[in-house]
Amino acid sequence: MRRSWLSRLITTPDRVDQPTDSVGASNAGPLSRKERVGVMYASRPGRSTGSGFALLVILLVGASVPAQAQVRALEIRTPRPFGYFLGDLVRAQVDLVVEPGFTVQIPSLPQPGALTYWLDLRDIAVTQAASGDARRIRLDLTYQTFYAALDARALEIPGFTITLVDETDRGATTARAEVPPWSFNISPLREVQPPAREDPRSYLRPDGQVSPRDPRPLLVGAAGSAFLALLALAGLARDRTWWPFGARRSRPFGVAARRIRALARRPDAASAYGEALTALHRAMDSTAGRRVLADDLDAVLARRPAFRREADALARFFAASRQTFFGPGPEAGQRTVSLREVASLAGRLARAERAA
Amino acid sequence: MNEIRASDAMLTDWREAAGRFERAVGSAVLGQDRAIRLLTIALFARGHVLLEGDVGVGKTTLLRAVARALGGAYERVEGTVDMMPTDLVYHTYLADDGRPRVEPGPVLRQAEDLAIFFFNEINRARPQVHALLLRLMAERSLTAFNREYRFPHLQVFADRNRVEREETFELPAAARDRFLMEIGLEAPRDPAVRRALVFDPRFHDTDALIAAIDGEVLDHAALPGIAAAIQHGIQASPAIETYVVNLWEALVRPSQAGIRLPDIDMDALVQGGASPRGVAFLVRAARVRAWLEGRDWLVPEDIRAIFPEVMAHRVFLEPIYEMRRAAIVPELCRAVFETVPAP
Repeated sequence: MRRSWLSRLITTPDRVDQPTDSVGASNAGPLSRKERVGVMYASRPGRSTGSGFALLVILLVGASVPAQAQVRALEIRTPRPFGYFLGDLVRAQVDLVVEPGFTVQIPSLPQPGALTYWLDLRDIAVTQAASGDARRIRLDLTYQTFYAALDARALEIPGFTITLVDETDRGATTARAEVPPWSFNISPLREVQPPAREDPRSYLRPDGQVSPRDPRPLLVGAAGSAFLALLALAGLARDRTWWPFGARRSRPFGVAARRIRALARRPDAASAYGEALTALHRAMDSTAGRRVLADDLDAVLARRPAFRREADALARFFAASRQTFFGPGPEAGQRTVSLREVASLAGRLARAERAA
Repeated sequence: MNEIRASDAMLTDWREAAGRFERAVGSAVLGQDRAIRLLTIALFARGHVLLEGDVGVGKTTLLRAVARALGGAYERVEGTVDMMPTDLVYHTYLADDGRPRVEPGPVLRQAEDLAIFFFNEINRARPQVHALLLRLMAERSLTAFNREYRFPHLQVFADRNRVEREETFELPAAARDRFLMEIGLEAPRDPAVRRALVFDPRFHDTDALIAAIDGEVLDHAALPGIAAAIQHGIQASPAIETYVVNLWEALVRPSQAGIRLPDIDMDALVQGGASPRGVAFLVRAARVRAWLEGRDWLVPEDIRAIFPEVMAHRVFLEPIYEMRRAAIVPELCRAVFETVPAP
C-alpha cells in the first residue's frame, strides 16, 4: 500500500550521519551494504504479511550508547494504527538487524501477562536467522486491549528493552536494544451497537445459501465400492470355505473317472491298468478321508451308503488291485477286472457321488 | 517242481496244524483270539514275545497254554529284585553229603531241548538279568560250565505287569528290541465270556485247565524248518516293499509324512528306534500272517494286522512325550496307516 511507503522510516544507528530518507535509499547514491540490507528488508513486508498489511515503521535514533552499535536497525510494524475496539488483538512485529553472533537473551523478553490494567501481552514469539553478514531477529508480539474507550483516542503501548548476547570462547558481549513505545487508535463500541428492533427475529441473518450439487458421482462411487467389497467378501468366503463354498464337496471319483477314461485310450494298456487302479484307490482314499485297504471296504461303505450299490464291484476291484500290485501281477488282475470295467465302475461311482 | 509242490503241501498241512493249535489254546483262554493269533504268528516267525497287561487277565495262563499245546521242554522263572544272572544259569545247593554242588539252572536244565523259556514278571528282575537275556534271545546260545550251549528251538516268553512301578526295572531298549512282539492283554469285553470266566469252575483251576489242552499239537522241533519255509514261500512284491519302507519312514519322521496329531509337536516327537531289525521282524511276522490267511504273497493288511505289536515298542519318544506313550504311540501307528498310500 502506498501509505505504508509514506510512513516508513529507516535508520542505521551506527551511521547516523548518512542520509536517512529511505524512500530514496535504493537510488540515493552509494549506500553501505548494511544499509541496503535494511532497505531491502523494510521493503519486503508485503510478501510476508499480505498485501493488506499496513506498515508502520518507527525510527529509533537514540544510539548514544556505544554498545548499541551492535544493533544496526530496529523496526516496529503493525497492521494498522487505528480501528481497534475493546477486546481486539493488537499485533506487532519487531525486526532487529544485529551484528552476527548476537542472539536474544530469552529472559530479557517481556513475559506474557497483564502489562497494565487495560493491556495484556498474550503471546510473544522469536525467530532468528542469519542473513548475509548480519543477523535478523523478529519478535512477534500479540497484545489484547481491554480499554473501554468512550471516544476515539490514541493509546500508547509501553516500550521495553531486550538484551542481546554474543557468546564466544573469549567471553560474552551483551548489547541492549530499546524497543520504543508506540501508539494505536482505539474507537468506542457504543455507536456500533445495532439499533433496537421490534421483532427480535429481525436480528437474525438469513441462512447461507448452499448451491445444489450433483449427487451422481458419489452414488456411482458408493456402488463401485460396495461391489468391490462384495467381491472381496466372496473371495474371503471361498478361501475360508464359508457358505456357500463350504457346502461344495470335492468330487474325487469324478476326477478319477476322467483320468481313467483318458488312461483307457492310451496304447500301453499294461501300465495304464496299474495307473487306473491307483487313480481309483486315491479317489477311495479321499472319499474315506484315510487310506482304504481291501479289508476296510465294508467299514467305508457303512459310512458312505451312497456307494453301497457298488459293493460287489468294489470288492472285485480291490481283489484285482491286490493281484496286480501284491500278487501274481497285472495279468491276473486284468482277468478279474478289465480296464474297461474299472472305467465303468469309476463312472458309476462318480454318478453316485454327484447324486449323494 | 516236485519240491515246490511238496513244500506247498507241507505248508498247507502246517497251516491246518496251526489252526488246531489256535483252537486248542482258545479252548482254555477265552476272549483272547487276537492275542492267540499273534502268539501263533510269533511261534512261526521264531520271535520272542513280551506280554503286558493288567493283573489277572490271564497272561501266565495263556503262555502256559501255548507251552502245553506246543510241547517240548518248558522252563519258567519268576523275576525278583534279588535275582542275579547266575541264578538262571546255575543251581547251587548243599547236597545230602554236606558238600556244595553246582548244577545247571533253569535255562540249562533241559539242555538243548528247551523250547519255551517263560520269564514271569520280567520287569522285577534287575538289568543284569536282562543283559543275560540279550544273548540268549538274539543268538539262542549261552556259555556256562566252560562250554557253549545252543538252544535251536528256544523261544522266550516274558510277561510284565504294567500296574506296578515300585521295585521294578524298565527293560533296556536293546532288550525290548529283541522281542518280536509286545502284546497288550486286556480282560475280555464280551459279557458272555466274562460270565463264563467268572462262574465256570473249569476256569478256576488253572492246572486242570491247562492239562485239558491237547498236548503237542505242533512239533516244536520242526518249527524252525517250517518257519524258514514260510519266509521263503511267501512273496513280497515291489509294491509291498515300497509300502513297508514308506511306513517305516513315516513312523520315524511323522512330520515329513504330513502326519499331525493334536497337541503334539510332530517334529519333536520321535527320538529314535524303529530299527532295521524291527522292520525285518515286521516283514517276517507279516509273512507268517499271510501264510495263516492262506495266501502266498503279502498284502498291506498283513503288515497292518501286526504293526502295533511289532513296531510300537521299538519307537522311542522324546522324554516329554514318553509319559503319555500309551496314548500317543497307538495314535501314531493309526495315523501312519491312514497317511501312507497302499498300492
